Amino acid sequence: MKKKIFALVLSMVLCFSMAACGSEGGDAEGEAVVTPDTTEDQDVGRDSNEDGESDLAYVKEKGTLIVGITDFEPMDYKDDSGEWIGFDADMAKAFAESLGVEAEFVEIDWDNKVLELDAKSIDCVWNGMTLTDEVTSAMECSRAYCNNAQVAIVKTEDADKYQTVESLKDLNFAAEVGSAGEGVLAELSYNCTSVKTQADALMEVAAGTSDAAVIDSLMAAAMVGEGTGYENLTYTASFNSEEYGVGFRKGSDLANELNNFFAISSTDGSLMTTAEKYGVQAAVIGSDE
Amino acid sequence: MSTVMEQMPIVFNALNVGFLQTLKLFFVTLLGAFPLGLIIAFGSMSAFRPLRYFTRFIVWIIRGTPLMIQLLIVYYFPGLVLGKTIWGGGESGRFLAASVSFIINYACYFSEIYRGGIQSVPKGQQEAGLVLGMTKSQIFFKVTLLQMIKRIVPPISNEIITLVKDTSLARIIALQEIIWAGQAFLKGSQGISGAIWPLFFTAFYYLVFSGILTIFLGWLEKKLDYFK
Repeated sequence: MKKKIFALVLSMVLCFSMAACGSEGGDAEGEAVVTPDTTEDQDVGRDSNEDGESDLAYVKEKGTLIVGITDFEPMDYKDDSGEWIGFDADMAKAFAESLGVEAEFVEIDWDNKVLELDAKSIDCVWNGMTLTDEVTSAMECSRAYCNNAQVAIVKTEDADKYQTVESLKDLNFAAEVGSAGEGVLAELSYNCTSVKTQADALMEVAAGTSDAAVIDSLMAAAMVGEGTGYENLTYTASFNSEEYGVGFRKGSDLANELNNFFAISSTDGSLMTTAEKYGVQAAVIGSDE
Repeated sequence: MSTVMEQMPIVFNALNVGFLQTLKLFFVTLLGAFPLGLIIAFGSMSAFRPLRYFTRFIVWIIRGTPLMIQLLIVYYFPGLVLGKTIWGGGESGRFLAASVSFIINYACYFSEIYRGGIQSVPKGQQEAGLVLGMTKSQIFFKVTLLQMIKRIVPPISNEIITLVKDTSLARIIALQEIIWAGQAFLKGSQGISGAIWPLFFTAFYYLVFSGILTIFLGWLEKKLDYFK
């Protein structure tokens, strides 16, 4: 009997200690992460979601719009003081302000963007995201606000040989897994190795482990050629063009809200002013066409 | 920002920030997993069968699945089910979730090491203790514990060194530890893009830190080299 009581106490201690360890991690972080407020929000958020009600109300209720991003110049990147800036970041801040909430930027693993949205650890993905079928089927997307193309990256000394898509057909490509670039290569049934990020694709070409890479033209402009980390690489042929959009949770009314915001900001010129600030004005889609 | 010399201050600054996060996760995990592991070890040796089976079942689950999957489940699952994440927003939430996953995971490994250590102490000593009229907890703390600690230092050292490098798994839930910081310069961050060396250089941080740990743990083992 004594043993059983002892065992019972132990199992209770076990349960308790798991909870205790959780809060211990929180203390080490120096922030009380779970506050009574958030528990209240939790109920509100759950209720509105289950009723299929407003995501807009959920965001307004908690007072922050959590924007999932990656470090991606010129769309989202940090300035010298550590503040997130860029065309997307500035527009996200302005959008959040128009809703009367604060924009909070969180770096995410790009592979997990849909998971992050569904788990409500972020409220939107606003990071030069190409509107592919996979994206539009998994998220509620805004209208396209920016054009982009997929371009081939080759070594500068070989650039003359590979000016057309046709001339590239015998090369071994590297492209980011799940990216639009990988998609166009698969369509053409060109040889392609999937790598983790667009930057890895560039490294493959620089290291000679792949002959060419396919990445976004916006990124290519920022990352290869004179004065960059890849001076001996350049971009040549461009594949089909594509468009950028902002992703929200499936069924969210925020997408529509953002379209209204885009309409207003393109009318008052703030969309173009922001675009010019980051040199992307040529690619931005001004009004709903 | 073309030469490595120019990149160095920015890169080292970022790597240091990342490594601080790595260290934080490392120490929080040890602090949590040492005591929790002992509790689990007692559970798995309990004479009360349901508790023993339950604990061994949990240990089986945790040791039998990849830590990477555990991180994903711990961080994303509550939000997917409750419709609201329990971890709070921002980086602190990610750190908390990573800490909880690491503590549970490592506590299970530690528990088996503790169990081995406790059971390696000859049973005759416990019997002798009982004959002398000591209580069970007296026997554990005054007879078994010291011998157990001495015996588990080498296997625990092994786990500790592994933990240093396992912290890098937390990048799957976007915890910005040192590998994440190094990788950022590949894609482009703070004006440096396409720099490959910061990612490779992170290995040096791990190597130095585990070197320091190895020396410390070796010293500890020697220090505990009393009674044979």
